[in-house]
Amino acid sequence: MDLEQLRKTAAEVVARDDVKYLIGWKKGSYGYRVAPVFVEDAAGVAELIFSPLCTANLTTYLTLVEKTPLPRGQEADKRKVALMVKGCDSRAVVQLLVEKGIHREEVIVIGCPCPGVVDQSLLVEKYGDTEEPVEVKWNGDGFMLVRGGEEIKIPRDEVLAEKCRLCRYPNPVISDHLIGAEVEKWSPAEDSGVSELDAKDVDGRWEYWEEQFNKCIRCYSCRNVCPLCYCQDCILDRLNPTWINRAVNFSENTAFNISRAFHLAGRCIECGECERVCPANIPLGKINRKMAREVREKYGFEPGLDPEAEPFQASFKPDDPEDFIL
Amino acid sequence: MSAMLLNKEKWPEFVKKLTGKNLWAPKLDGEAMRFAPVAEGEEVSLDYGNTRVPPKGATFPQTETMYRFLVGNMEIEEPKMDEELVLLGVRPCDARAMKIIEKLFRWDYDDPYYLKRRELVTLVGLACTEPGLNCFCSSVGGAPDSSEGLDLLIYDLGDRFLLEAVTVKGETLIAETKELLTDSDASAVKAKDKLMADAGAKIRRTVDHDGIPEGLPGLWEDPLWKSVSASCIGCGTCTYLCPTCHCFDIQDEVEGFEGRRCRMWDSCMFEEYTLHTSGHNTRPTRRERTRNRINHKYNYFVDKFDVIACVGCGRCINLCPVNIDIVEILRRVKEAL
Ligand code: SF4
Ligand code: SF4
Ligand code: SF4
Ligand code: SF4
Ligand code: SF4
Repeated sequence: MDLEQLRKTAAEVVARDDVKYLIGWKKGSYGYRVAPVFVEDAAGVAELIFSPLCTANLTTYLTLVEKTPLPRGQEADKRKVALMVKGCDSRAVVQLLVEKGIHREEVIVIGCPCPGVVDQSLLVEKYGDTEEPVEVKWNGDGFMLVRGGEEIKIPRDEVLAEKCRLCRYPNPVISDHLIGAEVEKWSPAEDSGVSELDAKDVDGRWEYWEEQFNKCIRCYSCRNVCPLCYCQDCILDRLNPTWINRAVNFSENTAFNISRAFHLAGRCIECGECERVCPANIPLGKINRKMAREVREKYGFEPGLDPEAEPFQASFKPDDPEDFIL
Repeated sequence: MSAMLLNKEKWPEFVKKLTGKNLWAPKLDGEAMRFAPVAEGEEVSLDYGNTRVPPKGATFPQTETMYRFLVGNMEIEEPKMDEELVLLGVRPCDARAMKIIEKLFRWDYDDPYYLKRRELVTLVGLACTEPGLNCFCSSVGGAPDSSEGLDLLIYDLGDRFLLEAVTVKGETLIAETKELLTDSDASAVKAKDKLMADAGAKIRRTVDHDGIPEGLPGLWEDPLWKSVSASCIGCGTCTYLCPTCHCFDIQDEVEGFEGRRCRMWDSCMFEEYTLHTSGHNTRPTRRERTRNRINHKYNYFVDKFDVIACVGCGRCINLCPVNIDIVEILRRVKEAL
């Protein structure tokens, strides 16, 4: 990754009168942590980084902005937001365009072709956690960890995030500025997590998810981080009627998780954020990837690729494969 | 209060004795997730940092049934709350947290649910020998061997455990397991002192809160709040997993004619937390919500109860999905004073 090019482009973008801020990644407060950053002026661009630790999908911030009532006579700030995206993240942008959650003229997409990012928990497990500032870089086929002057080569498969093993679109599918050259695609691994569950019988799957959903603490981190969970009036927050009780137990937790899965069918772009942030370590990716697989195989549809596409759940094609309808 | 030694060979037997008592211990599943019931004969390992989910649910369950009712019927049925509970392996910060929030539940009104559960629970602590990366208990009045809130404190001396009773409940546990224990001696005390001095020295993160409680009101409109909360996604992670967060909501759940009134954890980081029926929200953005989280712990609580409502367990730092770091926020607050 060409940091110089990134910062130069970013500086040009934030200097524009019609740009509010740029959302990117910066070094976090310690160790391996990386944090989202909102850059408002050219001075701020020095903080920007793009590294294998930039796992977070920042697209969620496009719809997370709170729209508070404006004082009389004050106009809303209609300036554009610039956003750094990897391949997977860019699909969220496209999907938002498809759903008219955002409009094309509202965003400037800074595309970062992505060789694959690190799963921080694997990194911690294998190389230990640290409070010292460290760096993780792409290094040939794998990664390089720079810690206390020491350079440690890490084989790609050892710490690569699961979403990246399965990734089919490492290059941004939409961008206004592309930073560096596109990366060569790799052949996505077989999604063994989903296949193994598929191979179980109904009782086996139920048992598996019962154990998982029992752990849920309903913090809604998964929902809030998801770039495509952006309903203004989410059923989870409704009290009248109460669709899902606030009580935390298997039944309500399951109702919540299943609703979320359905609401994302044909919309989830597999960025893996929900699973990454879940403090209860629930393998949410398996649910969403299973739904995505169904939609792909049964309807031949993949979300987040074509801004002109019709939304999956709102479209009907007479020539759908629909083999499963009796 | 007595201090006794337990040879590690006798540990399984010790645990077995306690399982007769509705015993909960950290459930290790790769890492320690939470406290869960220990079945008879199940092994308990105390080889863990701290649980992701704090044990606060033992006294303040995420969902507490206050009473049950039948729609159209004036009678209510109160749940029975009489089962004793022993928590084994509670970290000192989490026990301190229970003591801290007890002040709230005893404030203008004695909360029957919290206080009853508090009475029924026995907290067997485990002194920390390897503080976590983001632990800062010693900056906020705690320590790796703080016994505040605990009934009994266990020190891991390598081949044996040193058990120190802190309360009468702790004494009772010692009396009940007496045949497995031997008297403590000077060498054990010396080993413990050394161990704890080392543990204290291993704490890496610090907070200098001097002047913060009094200074926070003056920073109400400071630009720092916008900047520290810009990336917050407004989830429940930092509050649900905080051992001192104690906000709740009360709701009725009705199915057919059967209903129950329950209280559940709530979080000031949620949008609807301060949403009025009128549609007005007194904390309309994550800026106000983050400001509240810090003020509640480092100002309001200090003002009312003379203690900081943060025990420095580090969970909110470890698990925030976007690296919002309370130590960093407090450093910024201090700078702005
Ligand atoms: S899924 Fe693809 S684009 Fe997304 S981080 Fe992984 S490799 Fe990069
Ligand atoms: S992030 Fe995990 S624990 Fe939190 S609500 Fe989602 S599934 Fe439940
Ligand atoms: S459901 Fe999960 S994987 Fe899918 S878009 Fe949302 S956060 Fe990403
Ligand atoms: S855990 Fe982090 S993102 Fe979630 S509400 Fe707390 S500060 Fe915000
Ligand atoms: S505020 Fe954070 S560090 Fe303090 S007690 Fe709560 S979770 Fe622990």
